[in-house]
Amino acid sequence: MLSSGQKMIIVIAVVSLGFVGYLVLPAMDITAQEQPEVFVTHSGAVVQTTGDVLDPVYTIQEVEFDPQKYLREFDYGEVSQLEDGTILREFTIIAEDDKIMEIAPGIFYNVWTFNGQVPGPTIRATEGDLVRIHFTNNGSKEHTMHFHGNHPAEMDGIFEIVGSNGGQFTYEFIAGPVGVHPYHCHVMPVEEHIGHGLYGVFIVDPKDARQQADEMVMVLNGFDTDFDGENNLYAANTIPYYYQHHPIQINTNELIRVYVVNMVGLDPINNFHLHGTLYEYYPTGTDMVPSQFTDMTTFSQSERGILEFEYEYTGRYMFHAHLTEFSEKGWSGLFYVKDSSQPNMEVYAYGS
Amino acid sequence: MLMEVKRSSRTKTAVSVIVPFVLLAVMIGYVFGPGSELISFGVVIPEISIEKVEFVDSEIIATVRNTGPIAVNIVMADINDRIYPAAIEPDKHLERFESAIVRIPFEWNEGEPYAVGLTIDDGTRFEKQVDVAAPSIQPTVEMITYFAIIGTYVGIIPVMIGLLWFPFISKLSRSKYKFFLALTVGLLLFLGISAAEEAIEISAENLSDVFNGVLLVATVSIVSFLALNYVGEKLMKRAGASKLAGPVAIALMIAIGIGLHNFGEGLAIGAAIVLGEAALGAFLIVGFALHNTTEGFAIAAPMARTKLMIGRLVAMGMIAGVPAIFGAWVGGFVYSPLSAVIFLAIGAGAIFQVIVTIMRWIQNEEGKLSNSSVLAGIAVGMIIMYVTSLLV
Repeated sequence: MLSSGQKMIIVIAVVSLGFVGYLVLPAMDITAQEQPEVFVTHSGAVVQTTGDVLDPVYTIQEVEFDPQKYLREFDYGEVSQLEDGTILREFTIIAEDDKIMEIAPGIFYNVWTFNGQVPGPTIRATEGDLVRIHFTNNGSKEHTMHFHGNHPAEMDGIFEIVGSNGGQFTYEFIAGPVGVHPYHCHVMPVEEHIGHGLYGVFIVDPKDARQQADEMVMVLNGFDTDFDGENNLYAANTIPYYYQHHPIQINTNELIRVYVVNMVGLDPINNFHLHGTLYEYYPTGTDMVPSQFTDMTTFSQSERGILEFEYEYTGRYMFHAHLTEFSEKGWSGLFYVKDSSQPNMEVYAYGS
Repeated sequence: MLMEVKRSSRTKTAVSVIVPFVLLAVMIGYVFGPGSELISFGVVIPEISIEKVEFVDSEIIATVRNTGPIAVNIVMADINDRIYPAAIEPDKHLERFESAIVRIPFEWNEGEPYAVGLTIDDGTRFEKQVDVAAPSIQPTVEMITYFAIIGTYVGIIPVMIGLLWFPFISKLSRSKYKFFLALTVGLLLFLGISAAEEAIEISAENLSDVFNGVLLVATVSIVSFLALNYVGEKLMKRAGASKLAGPVAIALMIAIGIGLHNFGEGLAIGAAIVLGEAALGAFLIVGFALHNTTEGFAIAAPMARTKLMIGRLVAMGMIAGVPAIFGAWVGGFVYSPLSAVIFLAIGAGAIFQVIVTIMRWIQNEEGKLSNSSVLAGIAVGMIIMYVTSLLV
């Protein structure tokens, strides 16, 4: 028979050994899945795991914000005509700052939104139209809308701070000049308000419409998800790698027009590189004559322009930041060029 | 009748033990449980620690532990701040203190520095810098043998050489002998402090704050001290009145303490080799080898007043030396900072226990400790250790 003192010592020894063992021993694979999962590395190797895959691949069913839809979605507003014949375009924009969005698989971030999305809706008008924006701030902080372009000082969204929880303001101005412009919240700290997602694109079309084209908008953006002053994720249209895994489908010999706006904060510059063809570049879209025929354009903060190009050959072509840090943190995508004479070609699927 | 009384009093005791626990559980449930708004201030900040990074064929493997106050999901992996597809095993959800292995397929280059980053569900990125990438050592037969040989050179052979001082010590006069016994106290004092210091250093550099490094070392050392004290006293009691057994028991205690310490040295050498720090590894081997001859001396000293028992002496040398081999294996193949800290702290506790045993023995023999040869012995022991430690 053991004495009670000895019993106690045995209990202490067993408990402490058990605890130390739990901490020291490497993770036991007791919850291993029956079906191993598989993922593809950047170099194409296929790797098997009994655990979970960490790979920023979104499927269309999961995504909260659909970059494919945003890409070609233009908001022309509610159109009416004034007595003098001017076209009036009215928009309703609501700002919020409490939404938690899964901006990359598994990463949840507090986005501040115009109409519930980042970037906000693409507002589009023709030069000379009267644009009227009914802005409501349903956020918990003060917000405004500041448009780049021509307008009176009191429509600039700088000193006319719109209060939180239902504050309202109506922005009204004549659309101009022709081109592609950003709009964003201009409440200080501006870096914070932009960093959380309060921005969007404002396109002013010329009165003589541009040539018919497959048009799309790409907002280059980034997110500093841990607030250390460096962006953790970059993207074209918010979701990292989205177009990499869901390529943008276009046709051979069709004019493609991309409105590119760089809204990346914290980093002084960003850039855009296109594979397999070159594009005519129109800085800010204000001139009808391209400034360059190139495949590489550098954008500083809020710099933007229009890209026009065509593909001769079918296949997959990358577009991405040639700052490889950005491209390897999400800002890269693919065009999938189909033969325009055979419109029913099979849809490309990732990994096939 | 008597039985029943005893049983009911036992039940009473059990109830009186359990009731406070129940009340405490109720209170905690009320204060912290669901629906409670008493403690809802502040922001909970999750934290993970990347404890180990290994480089294998076309893959970088990181061991990650949740060291924060809440459960987290690991959702993204990167190398040098560039996102890579990866896998996490057993799964990406980590409860408090739970750990997992992240496998990142990556064609790494030997000798280059890498930063391994992991991002959790709230977007916070955690990083571990590796100064030099070196292929992680697999427990092949050659490597096991290699570490065993290193362990032999560092642990067994120097201790055995130190034991050769036995005849010299046994011929000493009483006061000189006391001096040398005290010298071993000095040696051990130095080793104990160095083990504790090393444990605290590793915990400060590699362990998350959540482990309370210093307190972990203190707790483990004291528990180890108490446990060995308990075992030691049993040992001495069993040795009984036999005049001969006392010194042997003390020498055995010393050998065990030194063995635990040498385990730590083996860990350091194994880990240095694994981390690709070849130069450091070589210095450690030479330094520890020189240093450890003094340990053989420490074992020989208490036995010097008894008959020469070569068998026992050699056995003790092995007890003191062989753990260096185990240490090299553990350090080389399954190194984790937490296990290193725990082993070193056990070693520190063991050594301090041995010091107490020797001091008690000297006191029993002499009646007092503040003897000039005892004090000089301790001082000289520490100085010798300090000087030889400069070689490491």
